[in-house]
This record gives sequence, structure tokens and C-alpha cells, in this order.
Amino acid sequence: MAAGKQCDSKQQWEVIKKSFFIEGNLSDISDGEDDLALVIRLVQQLGAGQLVLDLALDAIWVALRQSIVPKFWSNFVIYNSQRCGKDDDPGEGSVEVMSRVATAISELYDSAVSFLPQIHRCEMLCEHSGAKFEECIPGGMMEHFKLHLRATLHSQMPTSFTNLLHKFYSAAFKVFYHAEVGNQVEESDETTDEAMQCGGCDAATDACHCQAITNTFCQVNRQLLELDLLERLAGDIISSLLLSVITDHVSATCRDSYDQSRISQLEKWVENVVIGWLEVVYCGGRGQLSSADSAIQTMVANNLNQTYMTALYHTYTTTRIDQLFNIVIEYPESQPALEDIRECLDRTHLRNHLVESLRSAIQTRLLHPGVNTTDVLHAYISAIKALRVLDPKGVLLELVSEPVRQYLRGREDTVRYIVTSLTDESCSELSEELLVAAPLVLDDSHSDDDNMDFWETWTPDPRTADIISMLVNIYGSKDVFITEYRTILADRILSQFSYDTEREIRYLEHLKCEVMVKDVADSKRINSSINSDENPRREKQKFPVSCMILSAQFWPSFKEERLQLPEEVMKELDTYTEAFQDLKGNRTLNWKPHLGQVQVEIELKNRTLNLTVTPTQATVIYHFQERSRWSIGDLSTITQENFPCPCQGVLQEVESDVFVLVEGEELGDKGHTATVGVSQPDIAPPAIEEDEAESVMASAQDQREEELQVFWSYIVGMLTNLDSLPLERIHAMLKMFVQGSVECSPQELRAFLDRKVRQHQLIFTNGLYKLPKN
Amino acid sequence: MAQNVPPGTVAASDSNKNNNERAIAGRDSHSVSKRLQHELMTLMISMDKGISAFPDGDNLFKWVGTLTGPASTVYEGLSYRLSLEFPSSYPYAAPTVKFITSCFHPNVDLHGNICLDILKEKWSASYDVRAILLSIQSLLGEPNNDSPLNGHAAELWANQVAYKKHLLEHYKKANGESK
Repeated sequence: MAAGKQCDSKQQWEVIKKSFFIEGNLSDISDGEDDLALVIRLVQQLGAGQLVLDLALDAIWVALRQSIVPKFWSNFVIYNSQRCGKDDDPGEGSVEVMSRVATAISELYDSAVSFLPQIHRCEMLCEHSGAKFEECIPGGMMEHFKLHLRATLHSQMPTSFTNLLHKFYSAAFKVFYHAEVGNQVEESDETTDEAMQCGGCDAATDACHCQAITNTFCQVNRQLLELDLLERLAGDIISSLLLSVITDHVSATCRDSYDQSRISQLEKWVENVVIGWLEVVYCGGRGQLSSADSAIQTMVANNLNQTYMTALYHTYTTTRIDQLFNIVIEYPESQPALEDIRECLDRTHLRNHLVESLRSAIQTRLLHPGVNTTDVLHAYISAIKALRVLDPKGVLLELVSEPVRQYLRGREDTVRYIVTSLTDESCSELSEELLVAAPLVLDDSHSDDDNMDFWETWTPDPRTADIISMLVNIYGSKDVFITEYRTILADRILSQFSYDTEREIRYLEHLKCEVMVKDVADSKRINSSINSDENPRREKQKFPVSCMILSAQFWPSFKEERLQLPEEVMKELDTYTEAFQDLKGNRTLNWKPHLGQVQVEIELKNRTLNLTVTPTQATVIYHFQERSRWSIGDLSTITQENFPCPCQGVLQEVESDVFVLVEGEELGDKGHTATVGVSQPDIAPPAIEEDEAESVMASAQDQREEELQVFWSYIVGMLTNLDSLPLERIHAMLKMFVQGSVECSPQELRAFLDRKVRQHQLIFTNGLYKLPKN
Repeated sequence: MAQNVPPGTVAASDSNKNNNERAIAGRDSHSVSKRLQHELMTLMISMDKGISAFPDGDNLFKWVGTLTGPASTVYEGLSYRLSLEFPSSYPYAAPTVKFITSCFHPNVDLHGNICLDILKEKWSASYDVRAILLSIQSLLGEPNNDSPLNGHAAELWANQVAYKKHLLEHYKKANGESK
């Protein structure tokens, strides 16, 4: 009985084993529901449900681990070893790859499917015997199986697989993208270019196998999707392909053109491509999304918004930021691009990157000695305008422009250039800006911060971005700026010699040099009074004199010149002075004879010239009344001018440094009159070359020279008493002993001393400066 | 004694003069520096012919002076170095001024000490470096032969030709020595 029983149970065990493939022989599939029902009852009787289930499942896992998965991977490993030694060949037939991947995947799919009855049996067993599989995993037996499959696959994944799969998807994507682009735009160029080749599969057009690829691709995707493997194995690849095509497309679109807004167009493009691709991958074809699973629909929508749109903005902004320097320079043509960037900045976190990148671009491309101050300033102005578009609050501008301002401060000619362009009508950009600008605001950014109710929505106070203010603020204070402006304004008033101050007044309202303008108005009044008929002295006048009366304190210092006017002229000026003293009581005039304009009428033998010339030129001409031939040296002594400049059209240099009047002999004693007077616009100076274009005002540089002159007296003092000193010592002593020491860098001092050496006022030997012996 | 000497110096008897000086010095040596700095500026800007002085190194209280002999005197064309040391009670006390270059002169001894009333009893706070140097410069041409420090020079002064000959020899020797 015992033996019989034993035999009986042995038989039973065999049956059970066979039904559940324990000690697996997978090929040995027996089916039949009755059979199964019997076996399950048997297991129930024996109370071995759990044991049998465990054994059955274990058999499946072993099969997965030892045969199915290795077999699947072996496809790729073999492929890899075949390719081994050769370079990675990107042109390798997509067909080959496609078919290999497709075969491998369908094999896997088939084997996985072959487990289905077995899984089903296990499920039945669970139901009837109350046996349980690992509880921690949600979902049914099928989910359990898929999970094991995934885990096993991943645990054995060979490295080459990703490569291969990437190729597979790339090929498919290319086909898809080609079709997509073809759908969107009919690019005639491309079709003619690649007429012999299909853009999708790189095969000859007549042998195009795009469709084949698409079919295989769809099949593979469907199988993977069913096994829940699509996302796991290919998810990364699917999205990376999209991202890279987005990057490419964005940079191609944005290349070198800033004059169109691209962002909405790009958004549309991304939406099309992304949805299209995801449809192809997940739903097996274009336009199938609406009919697909709702889970897939949400997944696609989420991916689109979260991943790809973000990627688009990020890529777009990064691309634009790289080009930002050019964009800024090309403002206002680049306005659309700037608006795009502004929109994208709100959706990305690239503000800091933008600031960093633009700053470094400016540093490398703008702020070096090879760039003209003019260009730096233009760039600065463009930057102000452009960044104003980008960030109306002005915070970006503040951050980016700081190094530029600092740099401009270091350039000597900055102020002069700014002021010139402010006042120069022909340089429209700044002048226009000045006219529209609100009154000069100098950084009054302290508004009340008391209101705490809205702290959550706080934004920084808008920084002033008015261009004139920004330019003036380069110097932190407007003092330097106004000093220079005064200099240039003085130049303008004196060189134009016109009493029309309307325009100047407008500038001055910004810059506050009222006294100078008032001087002009007063001068006009005084002149008309002195030159009026009531003035008894008028009778005696040989020629009319008008003058510009400047208040001594309020004008910048003039270059000292000692032009000696002819006596006849001096007399007239003295008469004017007397008249002025009568008019103003206790005030007198201090003439600056080298400034102003003279209208001369030169009577030559057979022509009369009406010229408007400088006083120096007039004086020179005057002296040709007495003699027809003058040497430069003689003229210098008589006029006290270092280099009286002869008028080219009237005088001729007959030999080195000796001039004669053209048609000089005929001049005879007819004489000519010199008039200091208001220029009349209809008299164009015909033949006078503007030799004296340089400013009559002491420029900021000259004033600096004066400051250095103070140093010079100290330097002479120390060298007289201490014999010879090195540069550092001189610099240190100046710093120590000069009261209210003006800043002077060692470099500047060296340049100054070297200049003195060239002028033989210093001797430099063995690194020591000393005074020459005399 | 009708000079505008500050009350501190006038009131000071010889016995407590030193105490007084120290007190003044303690009160504000800063203002002394300021005064010296200002004097330096005046001197530098005025750029007088023939006199000059400058702080010797970093110390504002120790100056080196240079003066050339006044024109149309035997000292014409000769250049002398001096040292000026300012006490901390300056300008209420006179600076110590000495010739560095050996100077043959009735009122200068062999060590360079100078006998000049404004450097001694007639010192006043209203004098400054410039005044001192100008005084010494004019002293060269107009010695006070009544109270000589250098008897030989005082005796020889009457004979200007012999004096000049000796002076130049002395000057040459002194400069030769210094080099």
C-alpha cells in the first residue's frame, strides 16, 4: 500500500509537473481545460497550491533568465562582434538594422506570448487553491510577468544595444521627419538637390523603402508597447531624437537673422513634429492620437508641454543669448528677436546666463584698445536701447552696462565725444534723443518702500534708462561732464558767433549752464545799445564792432594767446570798452583778441574779396597793407602769435616761410577795411582753409596738463634738493607732500616725466631722474 | 620785542620753556605737519630764483635746502646745500638751520652753524622756510662782521678780490671733498 501510494503520488507529481512545466520543458505544451481543472483539483487535495505555484513561476523566471533573454540579447551581441574592428559606420544600411531589430523584437514578442497559457494556468491555480504570488507587486499575474521580463532584460543588457536601437529609431525618425517636412513646406530646392535620393531613407528614389521602414517600425513599437517595454527600452532615445532635432531646427532658424519674431512659428513647428512623432511611435501612425488610449493622450500632452516646449524655449534662448552681442549691436533691426527673448526669459531661468554671457561678449569684443571710443559709445547706446526692450525695469541693463561704463570712464576722449555728439546736429542719434529726453534725472532711485502689503509682487524699482542720463552717469557725477560741455558750448557759441540760442537753451535745460546763455542774451542787448545811433561815439567808428561779453567766472578757461592786433583795431576796441564802461558803470572789458570773427573786404587789382576769417588771419592780412612780403618770423614778432597762419587763397608762399600777397603789387595803397562783426550767413568764406579747427578752449586734457604743472614745480623742488630720484620715489613723495593731491598714476607720471625728458627739462640715467645742470 | 610772537613763547621764561614746548607739541603735531605742507606748497609755487627746499625723504620735519649766491656778490654762481630741522613746536620755535656744504663766510662756522638773529632771538612764527632761505641768501652778500664766527673771513672781507680768491678755493675744496 505504501508502495502503491508512493507510486500514486509519483504519478500525480508527474501530472502536476507537466501541467505547470515545472522542470520546464516549454516545448511540451499540453492544453485542454479539463486536464487543467483535474490537475488543479488534485493540487487542492494535496494542499500543495502554494508550492506548485512557486515552482511554476520559478520555472518561468528561469526560462526567461536562461534562454529567452540571452537569446534576445545574443542578436545584438552577435551583431556587435560582427561589426567589431570596423569603424562605426553611420551609413550602415538602415534596412539591415531595421530588420535585425525587428527580428529580435518579434522573437522576443513571440516567446513572451508563448508564456501566456502558462500564465493563465497559474492564474487559475491562484484562484482555486488560494495560493498567492508575491503580494508587493500591484496588478495581476500578467503585470508580474512583464515586470520580471523587464528586470531580466535590463540585468543582461549588452552595451551595444543602445547604439543599435538608436540607429533604428534614428532611421525611423528620419523617414518620419522627411515626410513631415515634405508635408509642411514644399521646399523646391531640396527636391531638385536630392532628386536622386530619397531624403528619408537615403536610398535611390526609385528604391525608396521608407514605407517598409515605417511598417517594420510600427510593428516593433506595437510589440514593445504590448510588453510594456517601449518606454523602458526606447523612451530616452525617442525623446533625445526629438530634442536634438529641436536644437538643430532652432539654431538653423535663428542663424544670423534677428529681424523677425520666430518664437510662435517655432512653437507651432515643435507641436507638429512632437505630436506627429509621438503619434507614430505610440499610436502606430499619423493622426491616430485622438483615437488612442486616454492614458497615451495625456502622456503625449504632458511630454509636449513639460519637456519639449521647455526645451524649445531653453534652446531658443540659449541660441539667442550666444548671438546677443550682435543682436544688441543691430538694434533696432533686431527688435523682434529681443521681444522673443523677453518672452522666453520669463519661461526659463537664463537671466543670469544672459548677463554673464553678454558681459563676457562685451568684454572680449568691445572693451579692448582696438575699438574706437565712438564705437564703444555706439554699442553702449545700442545696449541701453536694446536692454530696455528686454527688461523695462532696467536691472539687466544695470548689470550688463556697468563694465562698459567703467571702461568708458578710463578713456580720455569719452566726454568730449559724448558732448560733441549731443550738440552736433549732424550726429542725429544722440541729438534726437536729447530732444525727446525727459529732464535729466540723476539716479533718484529711492522711492518709498513703506508699503509692505504687496511685498509678494514686489519688483525692483525701475532703473533710469534714459540715454542722456545714462551717458552722463558714466561719470557718476555730472560735474566732469558739465565742465566739458561748457568747454564745447563755449566753442560753439564763439565759433558761430550767433545770438540764436534757442537750441542751446534746450541743451542747457538739461545741463544747467544758464549763465553762459544769459551772457549771450546780454551781449546782444549791449551790442545793439552801443551800436545804436544814440551813441555819440558811433560817428567816429571806422568799422562796426560787436562783441560777446562773457562773465569771467562762468566760462571755462581759455587757451592763453597773445595776439597783437593792429593799432587801428585796438583803438576801436578801446572805444567799445569806453562805451561799455559808460553803460555798465563799474565794469570793464578784458579782450580776448584771438577769438571771434572778422569780415574783411580785400580790394585787389581787379577783384574784391569778401572774407570771414579769424582774427589772427585778419591781422596777418592787415599787415600786408604795409609790406607785400613778410617772413613768418617777422609776422610772429609783430603779431605775438607763435605761428600766424596765412590765408591760403590770398597769400602765396614764394620761398620757404616767406609769403607775398597774391596780386600783391596791385594792392598799392588802396587799403582795405577789417571789420570785427557779426557774420552774415550769405558771405561764404571762399578760399580760407580752416587751419584752426582745433578748439580755442582749454580742453579737459589741457586742464589736466595744468594740474600736472603743479606737480612739476614740486618735482623741480625735490630734484633741486635731493639730486636724483627714481620714478617710484617721486611718485611717493608727490603723494605724500602735495596738498589736496590730485590723483596721478605712476604710468601717467612716467609719461609726463618722459615728456619733460624729451623737452630737455629732465635727464634720465640709470633709472634716476635729475635736473640738467645749467 | 614788539614782534607778534605767540603768547606761549613770550610768557615762557627760560626755566620752563622746554615744558612749554612739549605741551605745544603734544597738543597738535598734526597742525605742524599741515603748516609745513602748506609752506612747501607756497615755496614750490612761488619758484623763487636761487632758493629751494624739500623734505628729505619721508620725514616732513627734516628738509634739505639749496641756495645760490646772490648776483653781483662774491658768492654769485656758487650753490650751497643746507639742512633744516623743524622742532615739534614749530613755528613757535625756530628750526635748526645749518650749511651742509662747507661755507666760507664771516657768520658761518666750520661746522656749518649760522649766526643769524632771526634764527635765534628774533625768531617769529610769522617767518617761514622761504623767509629763512631768503635771509640766509642775503646774509651771504651782506655779512655781519661785528660778531663773526669765522674771524679769518671777517678780516678778509674788506679785500673783496682776495676774499673771492680764497672763497673759490674753499668752495672747490669743499665740493671736491663732498664728491
